[in-house]
Amino acid sequence: MLKAIWDNLKGLYSLLVGMSITGRYLLSPVETIHYPRKVVDDAILTSFRGPIRLTLGKKNPQETRCVSCQMCVKACPGGCLTVTKGDTKAPITWLYDFSYCCLCGACVETCPAGALEFSHKVYWVTLTREELIMDLLKDLKTRTAGPNPNPSSNPSPASPQPSSVPKDAPKASPAAPANPVASQTADQKADQKADQKAGPVASPNGHPEGAKAAPKDPGASPNGHPEGAPAALKEPGV
Amino acid sequence: MFLSLAVFVQIIVAVLLIIGLMVANAVAMVYMERKVAGFIQRRPGPYEVGPRGTLQAVCDSMKLLAKQIYRPGNADLILYYLAPILAFFPVLLLFLPIPFGPYLTPLPVNDGVVLILAFAGLGVLSNLLAGWGSSNKYSLLGAARAVAQTVAYEIPMILALLAVVLLSGSMDLKSITEQQGQWPWEWNVVLQPLAFFIYLISLVAETNRAPFDLPEAESELTAGFHTEYSGMGFALFFLSEYANMLLVSFVAAVFFLGGYRGPIADGFWWLFIKAYLLMFFMVWIRWTFPRVRFDQLLNLNWRWLLPLGLLNLWLTAIVTKLLV
Amino acid sequence: MTSGPLNMVNPFAVLESPGTLAGDFYARSFEKKAGPNRVILNLGPQHPSTHGVLRVLVELDGEYVVRAEPVLGYLHRMHEKMGEVKTPWQYIPNMGRVDYLHPLAWNWAFVGAAEKLAGLTVPERAEYLRVIGCELNRIGSHLLWWGAFVMDLGGFTPILYAFEEREKINDILQIITGSRLTMANFRFGGVITDADDRFIGLIQEFIPYLRKRLVMYKGLVTDNVILRRRLEGIGPMDVDLCQRYGATGPILRAAGLPRDLRKDCPYGVYPKFNFPIPSGPVNDSFGRYLVRLKEIETSLDIVEQAVNSLPNGPIMMDKAPKVSFKLPAGETYFAVEGARGQIGVHLVSDGGKNPYRVKLRAPGFSNLSLFAEAAKGSLLADAIAILGSLDLVIPEIDR
Repeated sequence: MLKAIWDNLKGLYSLLVGMSITGRYLLSPVETIHYPRKVVDDAILTSFRGPIRLTLGKKNPQETRCVSCQMCVKACPGGCLTVTKGDTKAPITWLYDFSYCCLCGACVETCPAGALEFSHKVYWVTLTREELIMDLLKDLKTRTAGPNPNPSSNPSPASPQPSSVPKDAPKASPAAPANPVASQTADQKADQKADQKAGPVASPNGHPEGAKAAPKDPGASPNGHPEGAPAALKEPGV
Repeated sequence: MFLSLAVFVQIIVAVLLIIGLMVANAVAMVYMERKVAGFIQRRPGPYEVGPRGTLQAVCDSMKLLAKQIYRPGNADLILYYLAPILAFFPVLLLFLPIPFGPYLTPLPVNDGVVLILAFAGLGVLSNLLAGWGSSNKYSLLGAARAVAQTVAYEIPMILALLAVVLLSGSMDLKSITEQQGQWPWEWNVVLQPLAFFIYLISLVAETNRAPFDLPEAESELTAGFHTEYSGMGFALFFLSEYANMLLVSFVAAVFFLGGYRGPIADGFWWLFIKAYLLMFFMVWIRWTFPRVRFDQLLNLNWRWLLPLGLLNLWLTAIVTKLLV
Repeated sequence: MTSGPLNMVNPFAVLESPGTLAGDFYARSFEKKAGPNRVILNLGPQHPSTHGVLRVLVELDGEYVVRAEPVLGYLHRMHEKMGEVKTPWQYIPNMGRVDYLHPLAWNWAFVGAAEKLAGLTVPERAEYLRVIGCELNRIGSHLLWWGAFVMDLGGFTPILYAFEEREKINDILQIITGSRLTMANFRFGGVITDADDRFIGLIQEFIPYLRKRLVMYKGLVTDNVILRRRLEGIGPMDVDLCQRYGATGPILRAAGLPRDLRKDCPYGVYPKFNFPIPSGPVNDSFGRYLVRLKEIETSLDIVEQAVNSLPNGPIMMDKAPKVSFKLPAGETYFAVEGARGQIGVHLVSDGGKNPYRVKLRAPGFSNLSLFAEAAKGSLLADAIAILGSLDLVIPEIDR
């Protein structure tokens, strides 16, 4: 009888401990990042593989390295690629159905010419299924056309990329072995920031080194800029 | 006519104001619950609709009004539609004896305690009708649990309130309030802490709130007795749940926390502050603790709260009637 | 009476002949053996706490479960058939989708089976990276199980705390695998993406952070009296019951038998690490709960040791198999320790382009078969608690 009372009192104490923990979290700032007012750090996002895209040609950046060997078409588990050979080795159509892609990398690894790579594009939504079928040759041309080409921008079906972004000086990237999936040069990183800005807010000029791609909202909360924002891995403390 | 015209008009006006209070309370409570739940879970809660999400409840109620009321084919015609209405209206009656301010009691009766305790059990009838009338086994299980739980937890509630009645010597809610002082150490909670604790637990159990929310246990019974309700039926159940919460918080504030009396100025604002603090407490424990199993719930009532309530009543009787 | 829930009248019966029984084949055959005055409840495929599309037919006597029978197949996606029409390389992404909570273990099972069949050796750095990835994934899986289990019992908050940690783990694993849920990092002969300084740095930040958070979990959930009274004494599963149904993993370990493939039949570089096998003293739901929480700490130890002693070197073997890799003829079985138990892949190849047969041994299937016997005589709320403590992921059960 006495033991039962003592157990119940201990139990009551454990309830109070639990309430103090949730009470502490009730009063501490939120952990979620309120998109699109703030965005997650690019460093976290760009390790995502993303849809594939054609790499720039060696002699002429506007031409692809693809030789229409169809090895990627056969290797793809989902059967999402369609490559049609022209009279020369270069392909005349190159279609990629992203709705079947499982981001495995078979096409990237098996291409003998090194013509494919992952684009690390995260912010992409479409409204219809047809928009998911991308024409990668057209995308290559769009990326490399114009007076200020933006070769590392990400493939998109409709809108052309903003071509007025200057390239930043390459910063020292961590030493990573060259492999087709994770390598990324500095100007690719800088241009992806520009890319993400091209969504909700069109940025007319470049951005300083190290700035994050948050649309500057004049009515934003005091820690609206992601440098102060609760980015996912910045605070190890509880 | 047994009522003079003035009293009749007073009651009508009071009923209309109370309906307004119930609706406003539901809107405010939905917002508070979702925001508190969000912050406990480290997320912002409603944010987009209106400034910082304040219009979310309004939009939700518009959505619920516009939804199709779909009655399952086998559901009993009368019972299915009667249950949400029955959930809503008895709570209205219970607000009448509560002294909102020094001169603001809608129905000044001298046995308000009896009125409240008698009508508090009507809420379970609507649960039972909803569960049976839905023609759904999940709902039936939820309704059976609700009946057992509500009927069981009325008894410690009665015992706790009776102890305060013994202390005050009157069943009139206004005189119970008047006999407590202005300052927090003069309130009944200092004289009857055990009764307050018992009442707090039965408060949560009577309104079917977590951790005692088995009748609507989401993860076992997919919403229990209101599984089959959508649109306005669901809205009425939720309105009545929040109104019930407000009511029992008011009763707790009147009996234990000094009602409308406060340190600086007596008035209805103190009653509201105390009631909303209690409801914040209920929301806080909802999002902290897991659910108590059904037999453990009833064990808690019959083996712990009932003897403790009786003990408390006995001690109070001895102290007030024999020793003082 | 013609209305009310106890009479299973088919609402569409007016369209068929009168006197038709309600329910589908499973419900009717289950009903045949039902006693009088019993309620047959379908914890149907759409249910908040069956962790996927699992249907459990229960026969209730009031609140007591008299008989329970799980019905599977609602999520059958024919993975084993896909193994026969895809080449081995093309099948690796499939393994990420069988059990999306511990995909790297399934990756390892399949890739290990192919390597065993073809006699490939994996370089040491790749083995270490495999261990780090698999153990981090195991922590993520256990965290999600913990959150979902407490949510089944009614506490809606801890799952969101668990997901904070899971987000950090997914950030770390995204660096090497490129995705957050269905990961496919392993290749025949190694792994495809190497670890960089950022990866190591994030792990070294993460380990003390999670250790601190585990203390908070203990205070909020494990010591909570409501949770303890819900779980203690519920669903005892002793060693004999586990062995009759072939249950492995934390269930067997909590029952008292410390069987863990990482120690009993070690694969990869597990022999180099020093870690205990938590085996609980009590075999009820609370014991299984404690064993899984201890396993999180064990996995953290392994990750710490692996990261501190990560050797340099290549991550793929020389002359690594290309995408058009063909398995030599033969058959093999390779098993790894997944978060739920023993994951096995039985690979039969006849030398052709596609494997002849890929049989996937899912631990959840054997674990689920325990449920029918363990839930007899318990309350309905307890049956849900037992189902949660078994840590089922229906996609891997149905494959």
